[in-house]
Amino acid sequence: MVAYGDAQAPRFDSEAETMRAALSRAEGAAAAAYRDTARLIRLLTVIGTPSSPGRLIDRTLTVLSEVFAADVVCIAEAIDDRLFVTASCGLPEDDPAFTTGWAVGPTARRVINSGSAAARHGVPPEDLPPPLRDVTTSSAAWIPLSGVGSEYAGDLLVLYRSGGDLFTPADLQVLLSMAYRMYSAVEARERGAAIERLAQAGPGLARHLDVGSLLDDAVLLLRELTGTDSTWILTVRDELAEVSAAADTGEDSGKRWPIPAADLPGWSRLSTGEAYVGPGDDEDPMMLVPVMRDGGVIAVLAAKGRRARSFSKSAVEVAMVLASYLSVAISNGELYRRLKAREQELHRRASRDPLTGLANRMTAAQRIDETLADSPTGAAGLLFFDLDKFKAVNDRLGHEAGDELIQQVAQRLRKVVRPGDMLARFGGDEFVLLINGASDLTDLTDMGRRIQAALADDFPLRGERVEVTASIGAVLGRRGTATASAMLRDADAAMYAAKARGTGRLEVFDDEASHRSIDRLDLRSDLSEALDRGQLSVVYQPMVELKSNTIRSFEALARWRHPERGNVPPDEFIPLAEETGAIVPIGAWVLDQACRQLAAWQREFPEARLTMGVNISAVQLERGHGDLLDVIRSAGVNPSDIWLEVTEHMDTAEDISSQVSALREAGVHFALDDFGMSYSSLAYLQRFPVEGLKIDRAFVAAMNEDQNNGRGIVRAIMAVADSLSMKAFAEGIETQAQLDALLDLGCGFGQGYLLSPPLSVERSTDALRAQRDRS
Amino acid sequence: MRALSSNRAVSGVGTGSGADTRLAVEAAVDEAFRPLEGREPDLVLVYASVRYDLPTVLKTVTAAAGSAVIAGATTSGQLEGGRLIEPGEGIAVLALAGGGYRFGLGHATGVQADATRAGRALARAALDAAGPVRSPHEAVLIFSDGLAGDQQELLNGIHKVTGFQIPVVGGAAADDRSLAETFVFAGDRVLRDAAVAVWIGSDRPLHVAGGHGWQPTSLPLMLSDVDGQVVKELGGRPAREVFWENFRPRGGPDTKLYKKAGGYHSEHAFGLIQPDGSLLIRGAFIDSDGNLRTFSPMPPYSAVQVVSCAPDDLLEVGEQVVDSVVRDEEASVVLVFDCVARLDILGERGHEEVRRLQQAARGARTFGYYTYGEFARTTGVAGYHNATIAALAL
Repeated sequence: MVAYGDAQAPRFDSEAETMRAALSRAEGAAAAAYRDTARLIRLLTVIGTPSSPGRLIDRTLTVLSEVFAADVVCIAEAIDDRLFVTASCGLPEDDPAFTTGWAVGPTARRVINSGSAAARHGVPPEDLPPPLRDVTTSSAAWIPLSGVGSEYAGDLLVLYRSGGDLFTPADLQVLLSMAYRMYSAVEARERGAAIERLAQAGPGLARHLDVGSLLDDAVLLLRELTGTDSTWILTVRDELAEVSAAADTGEDSGKRWPIPAADLPGWSRLSTGEAYVGPGDDEDPMMLVPVMRDGGVIAVLAAKGRRARSFSKSAVEVAMVLASYLSVAISNGELYRRLKAREQELHRRASRDPLTGLANRMTAAQRIDETLADSPTGAAGLLFFDLDKFKAVNDRLGHEAGDELIQQVAQRLRKVVRPGDMLARFGGDEFVLLINGASDLTDLTDMGRRIQAALADDFPLRGERVEVTASIGAVLGRRGTATASAMLRDADAAMYAAKARGTGRLEVFDDEASHRSIDRLDLRSDLSEALDRGQLSVVYQPMVELKSNTIRSFEALARWRHPERGNVPPDEFIPLAEETGAIVPIGAWVLDQACRQLAAWQREFPEARLTMGVNISAVQLERGHGDLLDVIRSAGVNPSDIWLEVTEHMDTAEDISSQVSALREAGVHFALDDFGMSYSSLAYLQRFPVEGLKIDRAFVAAMNEDQNNGRGIVRAIMAVADSLSMKAFAEGIETQAQLDALLDLGCGFGQGYLLSPPLSVERSTDALRAQRDRS
Repeated sequence: MRALSSNRAVSGVGTGSGADTRLAVEAAVDEAFRPLEGREPDLVLVYASVRYDLPTVLKTVTAAAGSAVIAGATTSGQLEGGRLIEPGEGIAVLALAGGGYRFGLGHATGVQADATRAGRALARAALDAAGPVRSPHEAVLIFSDGLAGDQQELLNGIHKVTGFQIPVVGGAAADDRSLAETFVFAGDRVLRDAAVAVWIGSDRPLHVAGGHGWQPTSLPLMLSDVDGQVVKELGGRPAREVFWENFRPRGGPDTKLYKKAGGYHSEHAFGLIQPDGSLLIRGAFIDSDGNLRTFSPMPPYSAVQVVSCAPDDLLEVGEQVVDSVVRDEEASVVLVFDCVARLDILGERGHEEVRRLQQAARGARTFGYYTYGEFARTTGVAGYHNATIAALAL
């Protein structure tokens, strides 16, 4: 070990001088060796220290400046014939080298082309950047950074030293090695940073459920990640590539899209899922990365720029990762759209009537409330209607035909509806039309007329022409007071009021109707329980042979004594019973009561040869409502002693005919009630096995009024009856004059208050006894 | 004759002392401004002991200085015109006018957190303040909080703005050897964890020089383990052991070391081996925990040598440094940044140093302070020193 610098060493001894000189040389050599080693280690340490890519470059250049005593160290990128400095230690930050670049000198050009490092001492001016031109002696080293020997080489590490020594071959070796390591580290960190950026942005991409906005974001991200001038995303469909998003400097390539995907540069690689880096159409380098799904290319990420580094391996890797993100995000978007469509379909199904596609009951109620809230007039109109003869169509042509008719009706009604209005089907043949912005009742009646006009033409159905009319109930609801449920209830009530007046009518709801409707609603519900609660009874009105004033028959009439309302008139509750279907059990009960009573009277008064008239509703004659004949027989009466009274309103549905035929064959007689009150079709009389006509009380009442030619009508009815071999029965005889007139016309039978009001069983029996005693 | 053709700056230096801040600073300002004969100064530098009420010092200076750029630092003693002002004693003020100089003041805080960023911000601010027109010759004068952050990093940040062509000179603030708190001054502001820069534009070349006079006493060593300011291993061995092994007082057995409170051996330090073989000095001492510590962190795996010095070498190098910046007779003042470690080593010969510095400055007046670190960046990026003397002539 050398005792360096020992103060005790002899100072003036020549041997000592020699030793000192040797020592000094040794020290210099050791210092140089340590310095070289130290700079290597320092550089490696800096490169290995975790930091951002920018800071890594910054630190490395600073250390290079320190350990190589370089005044300027920079990384420059050759673009065409300019060297643009991207990072430096030694150049002021506002130096034009960063923005406008330096001319590429001959040595730099040689290094770029050869990929080998170079050093010069006494650098000629053409190889010096402007800030160093004034320096008299200088040394410089040029180290190629990336893509050595590759098509897009162009990045350099350059060190300039004013004065000082030549950069030695050993220096160049260190610099080459450092440059490579630094560049690898920068690339790795850039990749890391890009992946990190991707990891941050990835979930953001996946959030885009709309492919358009997804691609718009992705194309910007691609540009950011690749650091290129222009990026765009092509979508590939049916082997055609089309630009779907672009982030570029606005240059127009003049290319017209779409183009066949196969014409894209490097398509053969892209179609196998590999990236393409190479010249584009205009020779500028470009990168294309496929977005794959199910083995096929669905999109292509494209980037173009003049900077070779943009298309480094790591940039391609990052773009590939972005592509796979996109593939997933696009799939997600499509899945979402399908899911959404399904949801909408489900919602549509829940809110729409499946037969007609119109709004259903639920949606209608919702819309009514919304319209009430939003209506500019503060009011909304509602029409509630059903088809008058729909049931007959259904019964006659079957339910499928009925459905078809409903669809046709809906189709016509749609044309009536104005924008903002809503047409809904409530089920069966019930429709609701909500009129937005209705201000008064005229709006309602106008719309009602349009509906009726729309239905005026026949509907072709199963080879027939079917006439359809609608009974319409209308109501005007005002914001603040009306609700959907109240409006629906009122319109429904108005519709029934319309129906009660006949077919094809429109009734506007008013307060009176309101009360009626509420009454009706209450009555409907009470009626359904009246039979079980024993509130119904049967009374009997004698039918008298007018000549002899002898009771020949009774008409059984149902009576309802309501616990609160008292007696409810039959013309009020019978239609209700028909509507609700309660008529079936009530009718059967009345028939049973009447038959049993007849049997009793026949036993007691056999000489009277009594018969019994019972009103019957069409519903009771339909299939599936029990056999009326069984009721008659089980009561122990002869069917031929029973007259079933039907009305002209009774539809001629085919499926009542078999029941009617069976009854007739068993001997049951049919009489037509209220004859002449509605249209009287003689064909109907022919078709239906009617044997008696009951002359309506209105005609009887009018008999003595000359101006109405009252007697003429009765005479005409009797003539009809006579010509068809039917019996005629007069109803509602209330005065002696009427009775005389009827006798005068030869009317055989009649009933009315003049003769006898409807009587209880007891009083009827009394009357029969009195009659027997009299005779 | 000279006066007719000269564009020499007019400068005045004043000092004040005593317990009363106001009296001391007023005395210094009066004396410094007197030679300007009523002319408003362009630059005022203020050096003060931390013992004074610093806001009062700056307020008083600002009130007198008009629109002049005011900068400065706390010190561990000052020197002016051949006179040594002992640590803890005084206030020294320089007022300078004319000379064709343009000054721009900038400052930045947060040096501890990010010295590079602070350096860059500082230099940008000073450059902006100097105005849009650039001068043919420029230099940056800086004062930094010597106890805050990595001073070389600060310089790296400044270097990004100045580039290699603009020299940087200056000193780290000191606190009369207490190593507790140091401050820098920018205008009337007293700042900690901060640095201040004066961008100087000139029509004449601006010369910056630095020198240390230290000699290696060891073979080159690898700084194999370092943790911030604590040196743990040298060449793979415990650092303190290796450091002690290489103690070779160069002043001979009779050398009287300046004894200070910390008791560290100021005459030994590290030299960072530079590419050209020169050494950047980094002061070192054994702290109360027995760790070998430097005032400023040394880069890991640096090649270093233990260095020592002899008072004669220190004196000689001081003269050389001052001489090298005074190239002509135009210089009015030589700004000197002298490490307090040198004063410690020189001991009583500190007075001799300041006299010799003034002699070397010829017609210019020396004005300086004793620092906790010196800046003299001329080539490369490295330029922060310890135990060094740096100078700039204006």
